[in-house]
Amino acid sequence: MTESIIDLQNISVVFNKEKQQLKAVNDINLRIDRGDIYGIIGYSGAGKSTLVRVINLLQRPTVGKVIVDGTNLLTLPSKKLRTVRKKIGMIFQHFNLMNSRTVFNNVEYPLLHEKISKVERQKRVQRLLELVGLNEFAGAYPEQLSGGQKQRVAIARALASQPDILISDEATSALDPKTTESILKLLRRLNHELGLTIVLITHEMNVIKSICHNVAVIEDGEIIERGSVKDIFTKPKKELTRDFVDTSTNVKKALLQIKWDTQVNSLGGNQRLVQLNFIGGSSKQSLISELARDYHVDANILYANVDQIDGTSIGYMITIFTGATEALDESVEILERNGVEVVPINLDQIKGDEEQW
Amino acid sequence: MVNLIPNVVNMKQQLIDATWATLYMTITSAIIAGILGLGIGLVLIITQPNGILEDRIIYSFTDKVVNILRSVPFIILLAVIAPLTQYLIGTTVGTTAAIVPLIFGIFPFYARQVQNALLEIDPGVIEAAQAMGSSPIEIIFSVYLREGLSDIIRVSTFTLISLVGLTTVAGAIGSGGLGDVAITIGYARFENDVTIVAMMIILALIFTFQIIGDQLAQKFKQF
Ligand SMILES: Nc1ncnc2c1ncn2[C@@H]1O[C@H](COP(=O)(O)OP(=O)(O)OP(=O)(O)O)[C@@H](O)[C@H]1O
Ligand SMILES: [Mg+2]
Repeated sequence: MTESIIDLQNISVVFNKEKQQLKAVNDINLRIDRGDIYGIIGYSGAGKSTLVRVINLLQRPTVGKVIVDGTNLLTLPSKKLRTVRKKIGMIFQHFNLMNSRTVFNNVEYPLLHEKISKVERQKRVQRLLELVGLNEFAGAYPEQLSGGQKQRVAIARALASQPDILISDEATSALDPKTTESILKLLRRLNHELGLTIVLITHEMNVIKSICHNVAVIEDGEIIERGSVKDIFTKPKKELTRDFVDTSTNVKKALLQIKWDTQVNSLGGNQRLVQLNFIGGSSKQSLISELARDYHVDANILYANVDQIDGTSIGYMITIFTGATEALDESVEILERNGVEVVPINLDQIKGDEEQW
Repeated sequence: MVNLIPNVVNMKQQLIDATWATLYMTITSAIIAGILGLGIGLVLIITQPNGILEDRIIYSFTDKVVNILRSVPFIILLAVIAPLTQYLIGTTVGTTAAIVPLIFGIFPFYARQVQNALLEIDPGVIEAAQAMGSSPIEIIFSVYLREGLSDIIRVSTFTLISLVGLTTVAGAIGSGGLGDVAITIGYARFENDVTIVAMMIILALIFTFQIIGDQLAQKFKQF
């Protein structure tokens, strides 16, 4: 059994806003395993930041228990708490670097009050700058750097105290897609090489897709769905989750286009419009030809896409099956038995953002 | 030259003494009010809502005291504070006696200036420091006072210049200094050239402070 390094129990955070109470986090339980890359996704205001700020007690929960690495943080005196915080690195959307300090001094900052010699300290900063690929910028000031470079400095700084956990609060939200990819690659490497546990907040499913192993979907202060990224991508249960998934896999775009297709709008009684999700890319596609051969069910594939998710290929397909009713039922059963998620598509429910008046 | 400023020539020594008196009042009260104002500005920042040592009671008390002291006109403060000056200095007239009201006249103003300068620091940077396990003391010295240093120098310069202005008002209680000379000699005896020269010395002081302050502020933006 893997041991959980973060264990949030029954966490609620209530803010008092001019006599009005706002429940930003509502009775959340969350366990994160050591070495995991755990994604937390949700729309703006869902309570993501509030929830992760509970992990290092930047936000004290109104109710609940915060256990990090076996220690109950809420019972710690402030000095001990600060020692624990050094083991939980944090990076932010707006980098939060100190503008008056050079890149070198920013990374050095968390070590200034540590009991290590100046020589040792400077060596460590040098190594960290190498790790994030910024040696030649040691003497530069933050304002002279690009967003991606600033985030690298922030990552180096967060790693200075050799933390076990890294919390990333929308660290790539202010960056372009290419820079985002390079930062995510760096995080993945740190997870791999240092065994760093990463908790990553985002509102982009693509970020989850490219580096997380597990994910929790949060809405109105509650986790509405959670699981391995593979499962969430193939078998989303909640509307919001499906929305996030469809947006990132382009299935949604395809559905919107298909909606106006005449053959889709004039389906016969012997036809069914379905979406197929399956793990393992091409292997499952042979199933379709099997259906045609053994059950005389024809598949008219309107859209197909294979995505790399957490190192696994996941396929998406939108097809119209044509065949006898019994054969259709049987086909669905066979597909499901083979691990293919079959989702009937209801055209009336397909709405683009522009259509939600 | 001599004809242009007939009275000044006769009073050269008096003007030099007055300049020293002005500098003495300005610098002594600047140091004491500076320490007080900086401390109180910091108290306001760290105890403010969501501050690093949030404390509603201390914050609102300090905030109110600063507001009240700031609303008393200086000329009235001079009179009101006289008993305290008498107690502390042993007299209410003269250059040293003027320092007490000057301190009370300027430190609340400076505290507000410091507070505003520190409010400019991105709260995200403070949060990052907290996340890194910095103690409140470390945050005050290594983040607030360092990140805010350039702005603190800027508002200190501004405050210092206002303080020079206040020293001239203190001339009303016989503080000595350039303001006193300009009024009691230049104005009262119709020796206009004395008034003008006193004013020019004051302007020279102010410009000097401004230039040095601007340069220091620039230098400490990044260091
Ligand atoms: N310190 C605070 N005081 C009062 N209300 C707060 C505070 N912090 C957050 N909130 C409120 O709590 C709710 C959740 O905020 P939170 O910042 O956790 O959302 P989020 O999911 O991180 O959103 P975003 O994606 O915009 O960062 C919001 O309604 C927000 O206004
Ligand atoms: Mg947030």
